[in-house]
Formats: sequence, structure tokens, C-alpha cells
Amino acid sequence: MSRPIIEISNLVKLYEMGGEEVYALRDVSLTIGSNEYVAIMGPSGSGKSTLMNMLGCLDTPTSGTYYFNGEDVREMTDDDLAEIRNREIGFVFQTFNLLPRATALQNVELPLVYSGVSKADRFDRASRALEQVSLTDRMTHRPNELSGGQRQRVAIARAIVTAPSIILADEPTGNLDTKTGQDIMALFRHLWEAGNTVILVTHEEDVARHARRIIRLRDGRVESDTVNPDA
Amino acid sequence: MRRSSEIAESIRIAVESLRMNLLRSILTTAGVVVGVVLVVVMGWTIGGLDAVWEQAISIMGKDMLYIDKWSWSGGGNWRLMEARKDITLQQAQQLSSRMESAECVMPVVRLWSGSVVRGNTSLRCGILGTTNEYSRTSSAELSSGRFFSSMEDVHGSKVVVLGEGVAKGLFPGEDPIGQTIKIISEPYRIIGVIAKRGFLFMDFVDNQVVIPLESFRSTVGLFERSVSVGIKSGSERMLDIVRTEAIGHMRAIRNVPPGAIDDFSINETQAFDEQVKNIRIGIWIVGMGLTILAFVVGSIGIMNIMYVSVTERTKEIGVRKAIGARRSSILLQFLIESSLLCVIGALIAFPFAQLIVGSARFVAVDLLKQDWASVVSPVIPLDLLMIAVGVSIIVGLLAGLLPAIKASRLDPVEALRYEQ
Repeated sequence: MSRPIIEISNLVKLYEMGGEEVYALRDVSLTIGSNEYVAIMGPSGSGKSTLMNMLGCLDTPTSGTYYFNGEDVREMTDDDLAEIRNREIGFVFQTFNLLPRATALQNVELPLVYSGVSKADRFDRASRALEQVSLTDRMTHRPNELSGGQRQRVAIARAIVTAPSIILADEPTGNLDTKTGQDIMALFRHLWEAGNTVILVTHEEDVARHARRIIRLRDGRVESDTVNPDA
Repeated sequence: MRRSSEIAESIRIAVESLRMNLLRSILTTAGVVVGVVLVVVMGWTIGGLDAVWEQAISIMGKDMLYIDKWSWSGGGNWRLMEARKDITLQQAQQLSSRMESAECVMPVVRLWSGSVVRGNTSLRCGILGTTNEYSRTSSAELSSGRFFSSMEDVHGSKVVVLGEGVAKGLFPGEDPIGQTIKIISEPYRIIGVIAKRGFLFMDFVDNQVVIPLESFRSTVGLFERSVSVGIKSGSERMLDIVRTEAIGHMRAIRNVPPGAIDDFSINETQAFDEQVKNIRIGIWIVGMGLTILAFVVGSIGIMNIMYVSVTERTKEIGVRKAIGARRSSILLQFLIESSLLCVIGALIAFPFAQLIVGSARFVAVDLLKQDWASVVSPVIPLDLLMIAVGVSIIVGLLAGLLPAIKASRLDPVEALRYEQ
């Protein structure tokens, strides 16, 4: 196996809801290496969103360990986590989550703003990222002037602009029609082939089918972790 | 580097979001607008007061001391001053001959109201008797002709220098030089006219005539008339030395026993500074009270709208945090937005403040013909505008602090899940 990026062992996440303790994750251990293409699957309530938040360093576990690129995430401060998210993780959301009043280019530049890249550099890197998703001609458009597929491609450009260690996509085709969804999945495949590590979180078999490895969750536990023979 | 790009980004976002909610933003700043207008108008008023005051006291000359029986500023015990012996011309001359540090010393005697006649026209005005030295004070700047010489002084020549008001009153549109008038039934030849010096409450200086001391003695008389001794120190720096010396001599001349208080008053422009300071403080306290009130009301409005803005943009905050914005980045973003809101308030306020200032001056100078007001600046000075902008930025930062802290502490997972 390639160099591990994500090493999780005995991860537990406990929520308190109205005085009751709810386990979102009970005991999850897994390792994801560089240039893997992984789909995390499971029905709603299986804990896959919680796991994605953990993997994306948006949330910290109640117990267990999480090493990201060899660094202990549980030891990190809020600012450390923000920096990891900024440099190492590219998020792609179901609802795209672009800033409505910013142009495509400004949206893609945003992570670089927070890492303090100079204006000229930002423009270079953001336009290259938009080139990779074939949106060079839409740079100055705002999200409401773009189609759903185009918006998701802007979001993907934003995810890859910092050259992150992992691309973390949460139901990336959930709000798209079938044809556009296939285009987006082709784009992820292309990114994976170019050497990126891609993690999809989905409940759709059709989407998971594209990944090389499928991890199924149920009731906060890993139910199965298999290599996908179809991909 | 990181900070500067974040600040630029924050300003861009702030401008964008203010533009999106333009009407709401402008209404929100109403309190700040009122506050800034008050600050600016108050500052301008104090500045104007200073300018008017400066002009008023410069008539007497800031380097002048007057030794009198009475104190000008009205302070002190009136009965005690009443009981003082008059200062005689002889005492004045003694002081004049003893003073070493002063540039010059002159006795001045005054008849507050005497008749001055030219043909059929007559008017009553102040009659001043003094020596040639008086010409060296700023009260005696001539607009035409000359001042009387020491010779004319000593011989009691019947020559007169008119104040601007008297010249206009008796010789409208004519040149009075060389003409003759009667001062208390004695004919005097006019040799000069003093330039307009009168100003506000100091108007009386234009309505007097100046004649040689010896002529005053023969025309008006010195009996029961306390002499005022004018001492020109030459510079403000010398005032203290000159004052000390003058007091020493005067006490000796008037036989004031050691330990007893002076039986004369030292009058100088400084005496009035105290009064003007009190007026300034008065304006300042009232103005400050109103300003603080306006800013408190204003900042509550700003704080409220910033809370709304934070709630509206919960999702955006989540996205920003997901892609790497730190707490401080979010904090900065909202602080910049709230202070920008206040700066906009200041910018809206400036035309209003200028309108108030401009109209106040227009009414005073052009409609009410108050010449003294023309020394007040017709525009708001730049430094006042800078102060107003500075104050509104601080108000913005304070008003935005709590909403910005709330925004910066949002949990990214919760914020991303937020739907409007």
C-alpha cells in the first residue's frame, strides 16, 4: 500500500442530544493511502457524515486516534485544524456552497486568500484550476449565471486549487441530473488518474461504483471494506 | 502577507454585502451620522470661537499690560477696588522712567463719552489722551495720515487721530485729514485715522479719538481721573519679567507696605483666556454628551444589524471555515464590515455637517452682517474630518465586536448544515 495519509483507529464520536448520549461513530478504524479512490457508503444514520466531518478535520473525535499525514489531529488547536483544511483538504459539497456574490474566479481563489498567496499567484493558480475543470470561459461569471454542473466544477476547482492531500466530496452528484452527474464523476476519475487522493461520501451505488475501494458503514461501524472489481 | 490578502478580501466582501443591502445599511448608520455631524459641528464651533477670540484680543495686543485702578475681568473685590486711590499721572510718569525691561510705557487717560462736533453734525465718543508711545501698540495702526509726535505731545498741540467709526460718522465718503473738528468746544486738526480695529464686543475702540496727553489735560482735565498705564513688553515671552518689574516699581511708587496686597490691578489679555476656556469647556461638555448619546444609539443599531448579517451568512461562514478561514479571519471580516458601515455613516454625515456650518456662517456674515464672524472658517477643516472618520471606525469596531466574536466561534459543521 502507498504512503498512508489518513490513519484512524478506534474512533468514537458521541453526541449529546436532549440529555441522551448518541453514538454517531462507535469504533471505526481505517487507513487511506495516497492516490486512493475511496467511496464511503451507508444509509442515513450510519455515521458517514460524521466520519466525513472527522476526516475533513471539521470536527474532532470523542476518543480514538486520528493521524493525518502522521500528525495527531486530536492535539490540534482550532487554528491548526483551519490550516490543515486550508492546505491539505479540498471539500466538494452536495449543494456546491459557492459564495453567491463572488465570481467563479474569486470563489476558486478563496482558499489561497486564507493561505496568504499573493494576488498575481492567486490568479495564476485559480485560472489553472478552472482550466482543469474546463471552465476558463466562465471565470467572471457568478454562481447564479452558471448551471448546476458548472457550479460543481467551480467547487471542484476550488477544492484542488491548493493541491491538497485529499479531495473530500460529500454526495457531489446529489443535486445534479444523471448526465451532469456522470460528467462530474468523470472529472473525479480524471483527477484521481492525475495522482490525487479522492474520497467520496455517498449513499448511491451508481456513484460509489466509480471508486476503487468501497467502505460501507452501518450503525457507526465499518460493515465492509472491499476493493471494487468494476473500477 | 496572509493578513494583507485577508484584509483586502474582507473589504471586498464588506463592500459587496453593504451594496447588496444598501438601504438597510444606510438606515442603520443614522445614529452614527448624527454623532459625526455633532462631532464635526462642535469641533468647528470651538475652532471658530478660538479664531474670534484670537482676533478680539489681538486688538489690545497680546504683549500689552495695563496697570489700572480697576480689574478688567471683573474679578476681585469691587469695594476694595473702589477704595483704591487713583493712579496719578505723576505715578505713571515715575513708573515710565523706572521701567527697564519694557519696550515702552505710556500713560492713558480716558473720557468715556465726550462730544465731538463737525459743523452741524456732532456725536459722542470716547476721548483718549496719551503719549506718542501709544503709536507703537497694535491699537494704533493707522489707515491714513500720521500719529502725533513727541513734540506735539509735550506742547499739547491741538491735533487728533480719529477712530474708524468717528471718521465714518463725521466724514462719510470724505478724507478727514487736515480738517478741523471741535472736541468739547476746542478746535482740533485731524492728522490721522486709525484702521478699523473694532471687533465683536471690542467695538468701542473704533468710536474714540486720540489726542496728546497735554491737550487732554487742557481740554478735558485730569482732576479725579485715574490714569491707566500701558506697558508694551515687546513679546509674549517677556510678559512675566515685565509684569514682575512693573509690580515692584508700582508698589514702591504707591508706598504699598510689604505683605499688603497690591492697590492696583494688572490687566492683560491673558485674563480673558480663562473665560474663553470656560466657554470652550461648556461647549465641549454639552457637545460630547450629545455625541456620546448619538454614538451609543448608533452602535446599538450597528450591533443589531451585524447580528442579522452573521445569522444570514451562517452558511457562508461554514464554507469559509471549511476551506481554511481561521477564527481571526472571520472576526476580521465582520469587524471590517461594521467599521466600514460606520465610515459610510461618516461620509454621509459630512455634507450635512458642511451644510450646517456653511449656513451658520452665511446667516451670521451675509444676512445678519456680523463682520466678526468672517474670521470663522467657512469649511470644515480636514483634521476634523479625519478625527470624525477615526471616531466612527472605533465605534464600528466596538459595535461589531460581539457579533464578530459570535461569527468566529461558529462550529463549522453546524454552520454548514444551516439552511435559511
